Amino acid sequence: MKSQLRAEFLKQRTTRTTIGMVAALVGLVLVAIALHGFGLPVNDVTSRSDQLGIFIDVGENLGSLFAALLGAMAITGEVRHGTIRPTLLTTPQRGRVVAAKAVSSLLTGVAFGALATALAASAGSVFLSIRGVTVDVGAGDYALLVVGGATAAALWAVIGLGVGAVVRSQVPTVVGMFVWVLFVENILIGSIPSVGKFAPAALARAIAGATNGTLHTPALAALLLALYTGAAITAGWLATTRRDFA
Amino acid sequence: MNRDESQPNRSRSGRMADDEIVTVTGLTKRYGEVAAVDDLSFSLQRGTVTGFLGPNGAGKTTTLRLLLGLAEPSSGTALVFGRRYAQLQHPGRLVGAVLESGDFHPGRSGRDHLRVLAVTSDVTPSRVDDVLDLVGLTPAATRPVKTYSLGMRQRLGLASALLGDPELLVLDEPANGLDPAGVHWLRTVLRSFADDGGTVLVSSHLLAEVAQSVEHVIIIDRGRVVANAPLDEIAGHGETLEDAYLALTTQVVS
Repeated sequence: MKSQLRAEFLKQRTTRTTIGMVAALVGLVLVAIALHGFGLPVNDVTSRSDQLGIFIDVGENLGSLFAALLGAMAITGEVRHGTIRPTLLTTPQRGRVVAAKAVSSLLTGVAFGALATALAASAGSVFLSIRGVTVDVGAGDYALLVVGGATAAALWAVIGLGVGAVVRSQVPTVVGMFVWVLFVENILIGSIPSVGKFAPAALARAIAGATNGTLHTPALAALLLALYTGAAITAGWLATTRRDFA
Repeated sequence: MNRDESQPNRSRSGRMADDEIVTVTGLTKRYGEVAAVDDLSFSLQRGTVTGFLGPNGAGKTTTLRLLLGLAEPSSGTALVFGRRYAQLQHPGRLVGAVLESGDFHPGRSGRDHLRVLAVTSDVTPSRVDDVLDLVGLTPAATRPVKTYSLGMRQRLGLASALLGDPELLVLDEPANGLDPAGVHWLRTVLRSFADDGGTVLVSSHLLAEVAQSVEHVIIIDRGRVVANAPLDEIAGHGETLEDAYLALTTQVVS
């Protein structure tokens, strides 16, 4: 399992995919936080909860989404390019391959989530100050944002891996996850909020400290998202160990 | 590992020299009602080069996938070194296989592709440069695979198969895309691998090339073995391998 994990990190480092995703994440966070920080009416950016809400919406959402993409691509990329065959020829114990990918996705997800939330909070605070708005977000909020954002993204990365392992095909996996996060959950939260707050992206926001339309307890949200993650990776493990590879 | 030239039948894993490297018994793979592989049985002896022939759709690739643990048989067994492939601890040290010529990430360099496999095959990093040298890819080693020709990809595939210094090579159409010098080179590599005690199973459509490279031939048709004999028994008595192949297999005239 140790050598499989080393191989997974080596795979991440030896293509431009990971670094390209980091660059896209940084760029998107900066653009989105600038649009919110400078674009929203002053009345919508003055309260602590408004400011925190922006940092979470941008930093946590983008960090978790990119982590999920990274996790999904860890398996669908191998299926797409055929490298899953040499991978399984050198490690026919497929459970070890899934476990190594889960750990590498989890750890990279931590980095993605921490980076996105820290960048959103720091750039957002700077942009608001430039605009002359007093930043009312406290040290505890920042800490929960970054730690929660890292936790949520780590779990989302493993969910992405689980979904990718079940679907296997890259484009449907990626499109499906985008559709879920951007449309299905939004509609759910808008129409049935009492159910929507238990959806995975809403739980991720709650973990990072959101209180608007989400659970108000980050720890409970983390526990529930961890249960979803467990279910997703179990499904991915079953799909990988039980089904043939072409 | 040292190759002891004085003992051509030596076994690198310390097994008896005359054991069966591959044992396929009653192997069947059904997709719904269709049996892609139908009650297939054959075995491979150490130190032989066996050609695995048959028309498109005869079940060659399915058989190789079953043998290498990528797919589960519906019934029957496919054993390598007496075990199911998935039960081998370090299969890369025993079996080198190439199923598709394009199993690389286009943005990863040939050298990095081999480095990844070296980690899980438990071989030393220096072996990566050895096999790159062996297949003549050292000058292109740091370039992304998307810049490689088909022939270079075949060479990289062979390098990945040879990485773990295996005892068995399983190659699906390795000569595709190689130029005449490349085909000649491949034949030399396979011959010296077998002379050194290694065992080779190679599928191909290039019958003239097969006739020069292999000593044993297995022909399958519609999932069943229709011939399994030394090359000189199948081709000989004035008959070429092509004559025998065409007589034994189902021809679909389009």
